[in-house]
Amino acid sequence: MNAARVPLLSMRGITKRFGAVEALVDVDLDVHAHEVVALVGDNGAGKSTLAKVITGVFQPDAGIIEMNGTPVTVPSPSVAHELRIATVFQDLALCDNLDVTANLFLGRELRDNGVLDDAAMEQVTRQVLLKLASRIPSVRMPLSALSAGQRQTVAIARTLIGEPQLVVLDEPTAALSVVQTAEVLTHIERLRDMGLGVIIISHNMNDVRAVSDRIEVLRHGRNNGSYDASRTSYEEIIAAITGATRAEAGLRTAS
Amino acid sequence: MSGRSATAGSQSSLREANRALVLSTVQRWGGLTQVELAQSTGLSAATVSTIVRELLGAGLVDTAVTTRSGRRAQLVTVARRVGLAVGVQVAHRHLRVILGDFAHEIVADQSLPLPNEHRMDTTLDRAALLVVDLLERVGSSLDEVVGVGVAVPAPVDAATGMISVRGIMRGWDGVHLGQTLSKRIACPVFVDNDANLGALAESTLGAAKAFRDSVYVRASYGVGSGLVIDGRVHRGFAGTAGEIGHIQVDPGGAICRCGNRGCLDTVVGATALVEALRTNRGPLTLRDVVQLAKDGDPGCVRVVADAGAQIGAVVAGLGQVVNPQLVVVGGELAETGGVLLEPMREAIARRVPLNQIAPLEVVPAALGVQAEVVGALLLALQAADVAVRVGEGEDEAAAG
Repeated sequence: MNAARVPLLSMRGITKRFGAVEALVDVDLDVHAHEVVALVGDNGAGKSTLAKVITGVFQPDAGIIEMNGTPVTVPSPSVAHELRIATVFQDLALCDNLDVTANLFLGRELRDNGVLDDAAMEQVTRQVLLKLASRIPSVRMPLSALSAGQRQTVAIARTLIGEPQLVVLDEPTAALSVVQTAEVLTHIERLRDMGLGVIIISHNMNDVRAVSDRIEVLRHGRNNGSYDASRTSYEEIIAAITGATRAEAGLRTAS
Repeated sequence: MSGRSATAGSQSSLREANRALVLSTVQRWGGLTQVELAQSTGLSAATVSTIVRELLGAGLVDTAVTTRSGRRAQLVTVARRVGLAVGVQVAHRHLRVILGDFAHEIVADQSLPLPNEHRMDTTLDRAALLVVDLLERVGSSLDEVVGVGVAVPAPVDAATGMISVRGIMRGWDGVHLGQTLSKRIACPVFVDNDANLGALAESTLGAAKAFRDSVYVRASYGVGSGLVIDGRVHRGFAGTAGEIGHIQVDPGGAICRCGNRGCLDTVVGATALVEALRTNRGPLTLRDVVQLAKDGDPGCVRVVADAGAQIGAVVAGLGQVVNPQLVVVGGELAETGGVLLEPMREAIARRVPLNQIAPLEVVPAALGVQAEVVGALLLALQAADVAVRVGEGEDEAAAG
């Protein structure tokens, strides 16, 4: 919240090419703790590519990434995890045949002398779900029995195991009903209240403007404006997305 | 849960404990299938089935057939008497919908964050969808709904159903709000100002229950008040009674949304508070300011305390005109507790002459941030003209 603070994540001049295609060109992005930044733009604008650079799936061809002021490289998703960056991509990466607790701890099970510590895992699961104000009555429910909104909740809850500092959510409210959207947006507010930095990629302008502090527009792989979500209208953002307005190179709105 | 005394550890005390557990779990979640109940309580499916049958026989729960991931399931819900009502709160940055019955039990509750300056058509659409979704969650339908009450952060003219002062909610003017929503959900809709409904809730079920004359002050993104005079909410001719946010406190001040200069809202509204902190803290939301003030951040405490003093000065004037027995304070800023209330008390004590009977007290809303939406629920229940069951020893209304 203090403007003079060092950003949690700072990206400068990020460029990524796939053969002859320039997916990202000279992109800057800052995210602070206790802040929700929305990444918006048309299809092919580079939002998912940028998210994959942050989470270690892609490596940039040029540019600098810093976390808390220290330069870092993110060569793989496991390094991203070590840097306490957590991600929820659109497919949610959950296992339908397992229950809520098992999904939360998949690959990172708690053990007590080599044996799985179910009680501890259930306890942590309950606490995390409570922190998110979730509506899942039992931590042992099989995932297949949950609604789309509840599955999204589990995916977000999973990111909290391992105490991340930055959470990246790709289209968190896509294909959700109003009630489910309400739950997910409430979770995002909770993540912010907990002091995390949150990046959300979304096409839904209502949801973006409801929970974000700042909106970063990408167009054809380039920055096209940085906007204060509470003071910017829907129309101004759409204009930046479609290119009706162009942000001057080198001139960025103060955040 | 029952009046019988059973020996601890005996079979019957275990049965009672299990029954209580099942009932409280259903109450907490609004509606669960028997399978979900078994998983949530840890009891066996057979035990749950037996207990549900007993609770059904005792009239404490209802069951309905529903589907869960393609399979038929038995949904168990808290038994409802004489139908449901809906309370909707349209606020500056969120929408809240609750379902309640005639015993003022809240059976479902959902809040949706909204953008700044949210559009009327989108918001009313989403409110309608939320209502339908919540009804489905508790195994009910629109047929069971006797009415919908809606709280809006602007004065409402009862005769036309429109917001009576232009510009306070941009894009919401010139429309009969109740009719617009009613078209989407085919239920009777009743609309009123959020501070009036907060006053209704607090005087019916909350801190001002025992009093005939009280004032409810809502300190939120703007400031408003609801006046309860002789046991009834006083709305005035055009519904603007209590709009203290538009009392002038600074003759040289900023131009308010309502068109006047230096209104109380321009000094203590969220925009003013957040702007005052921008140099020191960067961009903040009202929620941030409240949390930081609670945590003791000096800048935020200062800003909220000064707002309390300013609001108190205006409420003192209100107190001298209306002569209430009690001032109840709600809204987001009231969540800071003494930070807001102490300066208010001090401002009022300094200005309102002490009458012989009792000093004017200032207390926080008993229903907290739910006062407005519960008031909306009460509006629907009262308008539905069915005898409302009062009291019977239940003091809590908002089971939130």
